[in-house]
Amino acid sequence: MLIPRRVKHRKQHHPKRRGMAKGGTSLAFGDYGIQAVEASYVTNRQIESARIAMTRHIKRGGKVWINIYPDRPLTKKPAETRMGSGKGSPEWWVANVKPGRVMFELSGVTDEVAREALRRAMHKLPMKCRFVTREAGEG
Amino acid sequence: MSSEVKIQAEPRTEFGKGAARRIRRDDKVPAVLYGHGTDPVHITLPGHDTMLALKTANALLSIDIDGESRLALPKQVQRDPIKGFIEHVDLILVRRGEKVFVDVAVHVVGEPEPGALVVTESNTVSLQAEATNIPSSVEVSIEGLEIGSQVLAKDLVLPEGSLLHVDEETLVVNITAAPTAEELEAELEEAEAEAGIEREEHVEVTEEGVPVETAEEAAPAEGEGEESSSDDARS
Repeated sequence: MLIPRRVKHRKQHHPKRRGMAKGGTSLAFGDYGIQAVEASYVTNRQIESARIAMTRHIKRGGKVWINIYPDRPLTKKPAETRMGSGKGSPEWWVANVKPGRVMFELSGVTDEVAREALRRAMHKLPMKCRFVTREAGEG
Repeated sequence: MSSEVKIQAEPRTEFGKGAARRIRRDDKVPAVLYGHGTDPVHITLPGHDTMLALKTANALLSIDIDGESRLALPKQVQRDPIKGFIEHVDLILVRRGEKVFVDVAVHVVGEPEPGALVVTESNTVSLQAEATNIPSSVEVSIEGLEIGSQVLAKDLVLPEGSLLHVDEETLVVNITAAPTAEELEAELEEAEAEAGIEREEHVEVTEEGVPVETAEEAAPAEGEGEESSSDDARS
């Protein structure tokens, strides 16, 4: 799973959820992609799960790119703990995804296979997404 | 090859986000026209016509401002990432017969040898071409190419009148070996184990919702039922 090797601050504030993606809104490598339509935190488990789902469907035919990285830690206090006594311990690593961001890209497969593979991957992600293609000039 | 698209433009006197938003609300697009050392001209373009014209990459536009026609190429198009409408267009002035640098799409055609994975490393190549004769795409044939072969920029068959404007050694298409089924399965199982993901096995079920294998085991084979009934009678 994707985890930063070293971070400057182990416990950070929650990343901002407002606004749109500033970059990475179009396909850069592949011919097909998944674009976020809503803002959300995507955990490293969700990224890995989506990658496995699409790789299992395309089998050995295509190439997958992941354009997001879970570099923000989220913390959690243990259950049944009183408030105070400092910030909880890091629990998840998330990517702060804004609307418009192309998160996954795919190439080397037919349109039909790409649609099904990315549909399966979208089910593993926490936000509304859509399928984009280079041919249609989307993304 | 591009042909001119005529667009009627109006000069723009109001600037800033308020004015730009008013223009967009009227289904128009704020734009700027510059080049050849002239001062930039701020204009307003009709929304629908501009959208149709910019569906073609490197479309040559004939911009009509107050009865004066100028040739221009889109330099930068800003779009809304979700809704896709055009927010602003940068246009660069060109002259008929002038050589311009443009990015042209690479289209891969053909099938390589079985078991190969085709990766297009450069989806566009930069070319020098006449403004009135810009190619729409560059075709790359990979028919029958072997695993490990590469198509470099110098190998491209360019349309007539176009020159390459990138390093000749730039990798355009890379033909690599696709991972074997065993390698892929091993990699995915390792990844699943690391992430703690349980694989959902696909099980066929009968109409009653019983898995097919279980239903077959439960159903008595021919002759078995009779034997068992006779056994019961004896006991």
